[in-house]
Amino acid sequence: MMAGIAEKAAVKPHKKQTEFARVMKQLRKNKVAMAGLIVMAAECLLALLSPWIIPYDYTAMDMANCLKGPTAAHLFGCDDMGRDIFSRVLYGGRFSISIGIIAVSISTVFGIMIGSVAGYFGGQVDNVIMRFLDIIQAIPGMLLMIVISAVLGPGFINTVIALSVGSIPGMARMLRAQMMKERDNEYIEAAQSINCGRVRIIVNHLIPNCISPLIVQATMGVAQTITMAAGLSFIGLGVQPPTPEWGAMLSGSRQFMRQAPHLVIFPGLAIAVTVLALNLLGDGLRDALDPKLKN
Amino acid sequence: MLKYIGKRLLWMIPIVLGVTILVFTMMTFCPGDPAEIILGTTATEADLQAKRVELGLDQPFLVRLATYMSDVFIHFDLGNSWLTGVNIIPTIMERMPRTVVLTVVTLIIAFGLGIPLGIMAATHQNRWQDHISMILALIGVAIPNFWLALLLVLLFSVKLGWLPAMGIGTGIAGLQYYILPALSNCAGALANCARQTRSSMLDVIRADYITTARSKGVPENVVIIKHALKNALIPIITMMGTSFGRLLGGAMIIETIFSIPGMGTYIIGAVNNRDYPIVQGGTIFLAIVFSIMMLLVDLLYAAVDPRIKAQYASGKKGKKVKK
Repeated sequence: MMAGIAEKAAVKPHKKQTEFARVMKQLRKNKVAMAGLIVMAAECLLALLSPWIIPYDYTAMDMANCLKGPTAAHLFGCDDMGRDIFSRVLYGGRFSISIGIIAVSISTVFGIMIGSVAGYFGGQVDNVIMRFLDIIQAIPGMLLMIVISAVLGPGFINTVIALSVGSIPGMARMLRAQMMKERDNEYIEAAQSINCGRVRIIVNHLIPNCISPLIVQATMGVAQTITMAAGLSFIGLGVQPPTPEWGAMLSGSRQFMRQAPHLVIFPGLAIAVTVLALNLLGDGLRDALDPKLKN
Repeated sequence: MLKYIGKRLLWMIPIVLGVTILVFTMMTFCPGDPAEIILGTTATEADLQAKRVELGLDQPFLVRLATYMSDVFIHFDLGNSWLTGVNIIPTIMERMPRTVVLTVVTLIIAFGLGIPLGIMAATHQNRWQDHISMILALIGVAIPNFWLALLLVLLFSVKLGWLPAMGIGTGIAGLQYYILPALSNCAGALANCARQTRSSMLDVIRADYITTARSKGVPENVVIIKHALKNALIPIITMMGTSFGRLLGGAMIIETIFSIPGMGTYIIGAVNNRDYPIVQGGTIFLAIVFSIMMLLVDLLYAAVDPRIKAQYASGKKGKKVKK
């Protein structure tokens, strides 16, 4: 018994690592995707370390430098209240990137639960779930998020909830389609024949085999969510100023755009670079995870 | 084909009813007391109570839902604005065309440029044309539409003074007001369309029937347009439906930037003023428009792919044949 457990413990991490290593090896060959990964990693690191590395406090006002363009002291210039935009963009990464990651994690978890139930059981269960998703998806995504934000009110957590609810149907649909492809395989029949429970079959056998397209979707989803969160904040429904979320920064500085274009250029550039990096990484992951998809 | 259209139309009914129930239910959780929003904080408790009875808020949820559903689907009445008391439907009818024009113009630009760009990339695979168009597509996907809008305003309105930065106009000259909004909203859809066109063209371009067509001496242009593109169109058309939804959503934000009095400014303004009947009615209305658009896309889909038509025309039998 003890030996068996020890053996399992020894084998399992090894096996996992080889799969991870294989993907990483594929990914490393893809220079563009690696660039995306490096940029993204750097951004996350900068955002995490921002309280210690930003040159100025992100709330510190310096009225002498209001709307001042980029200089050596203020790399990205100053905003309408003389706050250093470079510091705010770096610190704002904490909000923007974490909204993306948290919202996508929530929607992925719920998407997996809903999609796997629908895909595995099929029949009436599937029918009811899919019709409900049809109804949610009959409302254009951005509009749905606007309505949810209207109900919940603005704020960081409410924005995360609005964004995650909005992206659950897409995730669920994708996992369901994948599940339906996998569930007729022989290894599932084998698992059923040795009396595996349904939950165990879904969690241990089906989900690991359905997860690759979901990883790609989630990576791209983070990018999309960051844009949508910024959009919500931009129209005043998401994260509120003075929180330096990138969309909120754009929203606050729009009225000064004519005198000081740098106010809108840098926060937007931060969004665009992040989204670009995540998309490149997502494309690379797709090729690495599923060689069949490569054209 | 008629049978198929009929089935799809029937299928729209439960979806639209479902959307109405969903939106109505969500909106009941909105913060704030409607009577107080309408009458202001200075109103007396008796006035507030009278208003609540007038709005039917003293009724149980299911009764209110049933009343609302009958108002919407039998009397075609989405209610009145809480703040102005104006009926919502006429306002929507006035504003909706602007949002539709913006979305459709955007869709035309996106697919009108995206498909040729994708074809060019596919027919010149791994050459500079391919690389340039795919880099452009990546940038297009990455740029948020509202940021692009700000940049375009900075360039074309503030610096060059060529195009108006906000508002709407009338007649043909009024179209110039839609140029910047449409351009800023189309980047993402254009880029997605180009990428989708490229990959589905690459899928079909090596098929045997393309080689056959070439060996028969069919000119290259005809091979690409008639033989390859026609078969590559199906996933592109599928994308058109989802793109329409995204563009409609994007138009909400774009409208607020360019102060276009369309559905976006209407709904977002209502959210900020806590004028919830407008949010509710506007959302339901847009969901119906979106569903009709998806239906049109499905019909287009059936027109391009005879297999789909056959599948629906002969019921379940056709489904099995397809598999």
